[in-house]
Order: sequence, then structure tokens, then C-alpha cells
Amino acid sequence: MKAKHLVWARRISQTFFLFLFLFLLIESRLPEDTFVDYSQVFSAEQDLTLQQPVTFFFELSPLVGISSWVSGHQIINGFLWGLGVLGLTVLLGRVFCGFICPFGALHHLVSWIKPSLKGDRMIKANRKTQSQRIKYFVLIALLVGALLGLNMVGLLDPISFFFRSLALSVLPGVGIGLRALFDALANSDIKVFNYLSYGEVMASPIFGYSDPAYQGAWFIGILFLMILFLNRIRPRFWCRTLCPLGALLGLCARVSLLRLKKDPDKCTNCHLCVKSCQGAASPIPGEKWETAECLVCFNCFHACPENAISFSFGWPPGLNPRPDVGRRAVLGGLVAGISFPFLGRLDGQLSRVSDPKLIRPPGSLPEDDFLTLCQRCGLCMKACPTNVINPTFTEAGMTGFWTPHLIMTMGYCEHTCTLCGSVCPTGAIENISVKEKIGRPIKIGSSYVDRGRCLPWSGNAPCIVCEEHCPTSPKAIYLKEERVTAPDGKTLSVQLPFVDLRRCTGCGICENKCPVSGLPAIRVIAAGESRSLRNQILL
Amino acid sequence: MNRKGEYTDKYHPITRRESIKKLFCLSGSFALTGALTGFSRMPSPAWADSQKKAFMVEGLGQTEGYAVKELTQKVFESAGGMKRFVSKGDVVVIKPNISWARPVQMAATTHPEVLRAVVELCQDAGAKKVRIADNTIHDARRCFSLSGARMVAEKTGAELIFPRSSLMRKMKIHGHRLDVWPVFVPLIEADTLINLPVAKHHSLSTLTLGMKNWIGGVDGRRSALHQDIHQSTVDLAQFFKPTVTLIDAIRIMTRNGPSGGSLSDVAEKNTLILSDDPVAADARASQLFGKKPGNLGFIRLAKKWGLGTDDFLRLDQKKVSV
Repeated sequence: MKAKHLVWARRISQTFFLFLFLFLLIESRLPEDTFVDYSQVFSAEQDLTLQQPVTFFFELSPLVGISSWVSGHQIINGFLWGLGVLGLTVLLGRVFCGFICPFGALHHLVSWIKPSLKGDRMIKANRKTQSQRIKYFVLIALLVGALLGLNMVGLLDPISFFFRSLALSVLPGVGIGLRALFDALANSDIKVFNYLSYGEVMASPIFGYSDPAYQGAWFIGILFLMILFLNRIRPRFWCRTLCPLGALLGLCARVSLLRLKKDPDKCTNCHLCVKSCQGAASPIPGEKWETAECLVCFNCFHACPENAISFSFGWPPGLNPRPDVGRRAVLGGLVAGISFPFLGRLDGQLSRVSDPKLIRPPGSLPEDDFLTLCQRCGLCMKACPTNVINPTFTEAGMTGFWTPHLIMTMGYCEHTCTLCGSVCPTGAIENISVKEKIGRPIKIGSSYVDRGRCLPWSGNAPCIVCEEHCPTSPKAIYLKEERVTAPDGKTLSVQLPFVDLRRCTGCGICENKCPVSGLPAIRVIAAGESRSLRNQILL
Repeated sequence: MNRKGEYTDKYHPITRRESIKKLFCLSGSFALTGALTGFSRMPSPAWADSQKKAFMVEGLGQTEGYAVKELTQKVFESAGGMKRFVSKGDVVVIKPNISWARPVQMAATTHPEVLRAVVELCQDAGAKKVRIADNTIHDARRCFSLSGARMVAEKTGAELIFPRSSLMRKMKIHGHRLDVWPVFVPLIEADTLINLPVAKHHSLSTLTLGMKNWIGGVDGRRSALHQDIHQSTVDLAQFFKPTVTLIDAIRIMTRNGPSGGSLSDVAEKNTLILSDDPVAADARASQLFGKKPGNLGFIRLAKKWGLGTDDFLRLDQKKVSV
């Protein structure tokens, strides 16, 4: 095959997978046109689920599968896809990075549009450096940590990183801007603008209905922009220097059959191959080709005017040049990987106290197991229809950074909804049915009344909003008729709310709907969650 | 009256000249009304009867396995057909109560078969567009899906309006309690507005029927409305003024309202109540729960503010059954 065709095949493949990723990302929410057949609800139980295979890219990343396996001893759904990618790497090298990875495609795009470096500076930037060993350090640290029970792979797995950044910060950010525009148009006195405001109907299925917002999303967004910006200094900086998946695939490429052939006799030292090299893999004849760094983008093959570079299948199989891992990266990775899980326990979150605000989604595994599986990818947060699931900041300690937890002032857990569990790619949140959720019941916490704030308790006004919204039957919040003294001295007949801890599931709709804004008068704490034996209130 | 209009003039004491002027206006209009009614309706036995009388139709499904659709059709037929309320080319907006993401059988939401029948009747009556709109409490996508409203929209071609911020506009409610409040605009932009609530228990207002359904027509700090629920309900009912109210009491939620969640909270009543008097409709429906209309705060207040009568026996009453 000609070099031109290979390069175009790569571009088409990258575009396809980037768009597929974006499509699945956007589809990771309940669409407006979903419906159940009401004539059948009596006979068959129907839970609302997403139509598209939104976890596909997480299955495709072998790092997600392997880390769940070594850490949580779980073979995730679609594990074979990840194995397939490893198999592909054994045949063709890091072809996943060059052809499939959507995050890689974005980096490629950002580096390629009007490159900031010209001529010799670009050649210099594309020379292999020691810093490319960092990714092996990252990989070893993450995998050793995962083996010891702290799975932080998702923090830097490219699919999780990309998904989280787009879902929690880029899409909501753009959405907020668009909504402000449409609201302004809708409130305008000019009729044409009013009609234009219906553009919202097209924008909201993409950017989210009802203004999604996430705790600490600005930080996720800044990190994402910084990583993108680094491409302007060194092309595909992330893929070369940081990506643990790239490191893993690089190690597998040791046995790759597809090899770069160099013909030093034809080479005129024009360095065009180096200038276009995406992986800083030393493609120029006369230097040792770095298999583990090569992203198989075929740029060098395409760029060489002298046909001094070609790709061919090497048979019989043999070992390619050793990946330049470096002893420091291995030792450092081991030290970091061993220490993180233990450092993470020093705050006592796992063994002694747990933050009352650490309310995990319904169906979450016990905290120990949860941390072995959660990828912090943000899929549950994106899918949640009420926007209640948010990334943690400090609530779960260092070990649980960016894992999902519920903030009841942002939303509430809908009683008949199990969407978060149905999309979790690793099963950190179990895929429970609505029947199970209500029947067991699965509790995520308990609510308590703050009598000093509560309107009827403090004699300020009659109110039953928490009781009205309480979704259990019989209701976990019950009322007692009482006469209280109002601030003006008159007696006021009110209904006082009480919580029945045995019935309360901690769904948080009471906290969410409480008219005492700011700090509501009824709040949910994690204590009483069914996943924990320790974090309980009642006997 | 000054240039700023009615908001300020109540603070000014009325002058003698103004009071005379008002007296003239009043007496003049009385005379005119009397004359008109006298000419148009002869003989006119009483002042009250000269007004157009409100009606009420009650539908009862008696036979085993009756069709809810047929009952709905019969109820409207007996009221003079849907054409009485919907003219050709009208934009009809139906406001069901689908606030909670609950399966149909839990009686937390309007029965989808009733909704479907009403949509189809409107379409047959020549409506240009039929819209189903509700500002739900749970997530709208899940409410519409589980309550069957989405499926009704799919099957009939009615337009399902999702609540969203650009469709909420601050408006003057002119209520006794509520002044300016964000309103769900599609409900205001209707030629015909049909209120289609489900009859349910409610822990604060005792029952949630037709008038309270309008809490789903506004946005903003709705949970604060509960601090004066009866007056808020009446203020909103007065603001929205539906063309007609059809209360779905096919099955009702007798306790644990308004969200329910258990089949043991549900009772079969197989009843539909149609009326153009929102107070009368609520009063009749409250009897299904064994309540006296006079004991319900919002019905008392609505009567006081002249929204209708709770004495539905005085209405033009009809009963149908299938």
C-alpha cells in the first residue's frame, strides 16, 4: 500500500473514532424521546436505560479492563475488546494510539493545525527525550497501586480523562453559554429573536437539559486545557510523556510484527521524517527506531522523499528494540505504587471515620471494593438525570479524588431510577433493577431534620415539603400536628416533620426541595448506607 | 388614576368626584346588563339564571373491563362534544398531572388512556396543534416516559412540551398572595386550555385535584408555595382559568400522597368529572375521598374569591356510564 493511502486511512479512522466517541458521550444521558409502553407496565417490569453502548470506549481501553481485574478481581463487561486491542498491538504496534484513540486524535489535531513550531524547532521538539520515560513511571505506579487495592488508573487513563473532561466541564460550560444566549433571545422584545430562542431545543440534547453543573469542574476544565496546550510545545505531549495506556501498549509493541525498515543509503538527512513524527520515535535512518514510542501514524513513511523509510511485516516474529523505560521509572513507579494505597489510608477515611458527605450512588460497592473499581470517568455523573452525582474533591480523601458522590443541593436520587448503575463500565456501581432498589431497599444515607432551621419546628410557617416529596411508601418522613408559638407570639397550628430512619433511603429529595435555601433544614448524611456494615446508625 | 396604573392608586384615598363617577359607571352597567338580558332572554326569571349556567358531567365505568377511552368520549359527548370547547384551528394545551416518575398503576399521574382520548378528541374537533405540557417535579424525561405521556404523544402526534428555563417567564399573577411569579409560557399561549388532573391525596392541602394542578404550571421557588398552600392554589387557579377541567378519578391515591408509590395507596373509582367550573369539579371529586368540600381550604377560598361554586348540585348536571 502506498504511504498516502495509509495516512488517509489513518485520518479517516481517527475522525471516525473521535466522532463515535463524541456521539456516545452525548448519548450518555436520558433522551427526551425515551418511553415505556404503559400498557405493559402491569405485566413486565421496565427500567429506563440508555439505548447506545455508551461504555464501548472504556471496554476498548485495556487499561480499564486490566486494572479492574488486578485490583477488583472483576472481569468487566466487554473485557474482550480490551484484549483485542492488546492483540492488535502485538501485531501492529501502537496502532490504537495512531488510529483509534479519540484523545490521541484530538492531540493530533491540536498539534497539526497551524503548528506553532517551524522547521528546525519542530525537528528538535520531535527528538526523543528522557521525559518520555515518565509514562512508564505512571503506568507502573498506577498498576502496582491497583494491585494493592487503590485503583487510580482512571485519573490518567486517556479514555476516562477525555470523557471526564468533556462530560463534566467542556459540554456543561458551552451549554451554560448557549443557554444564557437563548434565554436572552427568549426574553427579547423582538419577535425574530424569540423564534431563534427555540434553537435551545437543538442545543440541549447535546449540552444537557437543565444546565448540568459539577463540583470542581473548573479544575477538570483547566487541566484539560493545559494538556491540550502542551501540544503546542511538543506535539502529542500527552501521548508521548504521560499516557499510561500508551506506555502499556508500547511495552506490548516489543513483539509487534509491523516494523519500520530504514535504508540509510537512500537517506539524505533531510529530517522530514522527524519533523512529522508524532511519537518522537526516531524514524530517521541511522538512529535506532523506538518501537514503543511509534504511534504508527505513517507520517514518516509519507514524508520521506527518498523512499528510505517503509513499513513491512517481519516474519518470523522476533523482538523489536527494547522500550526505553529506564531503571528510575521502574523503581520510582514501584515506590509510588506501593506507597499511594497506604498513604491514602492515613486519613482514616477507610478504617475509622467516613465523611458524612460521602454519599455514594445507589448500588455502589463497599468503599474498599468501590475504590478498586471506580475509574472516576464521570459516566454516572453525565448520565444522572438530576445532576446529583458529582465528583468528590476532599469528601472521599486523597484516594477517592474525583470519584462520584451525591450532592443533594444539586439534585436528588430519583426513587425509580437506576441509570448510574446501568452505565458504570466497571461495576463499581452495581447494575441494580428498580425493583431491587426499592425492594431491598438500597439505602444511600439517612436524613435528619435541623429543627432550628425547619419552618414549622421554629414556628415560622407551616410547611410539609419534605414529607410531600418523600418517595417511599409508607413515607419515611411523617408529620405530627402540633401548636407552636410563632415569632410574633401567636400560636400557629403546624405539622412537624419527623424522620423514620428505618424507612429513609437517603434519596435526598427532601433536602433538595426544602424551601430553606442555602443550608436546607433537612439534610442527608451517608450514615445508614446499606453498602457499609460500619457506617450505621440503628442497631 | 395616575399614570402608573392600578398598583399605586389603592394607596390614595378616593375623592368625592371619583366616587360619584364610579357610582355612575356601576349603575349604568347594571342598567345595561339588565336591559340586555331582558331583551335577549325572555322571560328572565332571576338575575342569577340570566348568566350562562355551568355544567358538570360525571362518567362512571360500571361494566367489567370497560374502555377508559370510551368513557372519556362519552363524557365529552354528553357535555356537547369537544367542539364546544375547541374551535377549528385552535392551539389546545392539555395540562395533565405527571409530576412524579411513577408507573401508571400507582395513581400518581393522570391516566394515559384518558390523556390519549382527550388528545384525540381535540384533534378530531379540528385543533391545529395539541400540546401536552407540565412542569414536573421529578425529572421531566422520566416522568413523561413512565407516566405514559410520551407514548401518548408518539401515538397521537401531540406535542410534548418539556419544561425548560427559556419557557418560564415572570408574569403578574394578580393573586392575593402571589404577585410576580415565573409561569410556564405554553399554558398561557393556548387558545383552549384543558386541565386534566388526577385525583390524589395530599398531606398539606388534604387533596390535590384540579386547582392545585396549576402548581405544575409555574416555576420558581415552588416549595415555598406550601407556606400558604390554599391561597397559592386559588391564586394560580384564578390566573390560569382553564376552558374546562376533567378530573381523572379512574383510580385515585387515597394516602401517601401526592407521590404514593405503593399499590395499597390506590383505590379504583372508575370516575371522570368534567366541568367548566373548576371549584365544582374539585368539590365533586373531594366526595370520592369521603371529604366534605366545605372542609377543604382551597375550595372555601376559591368560592370566596368567586372562582365558582362548591354546590355542584346547582349546576347543569349529567351522568353517563359505560
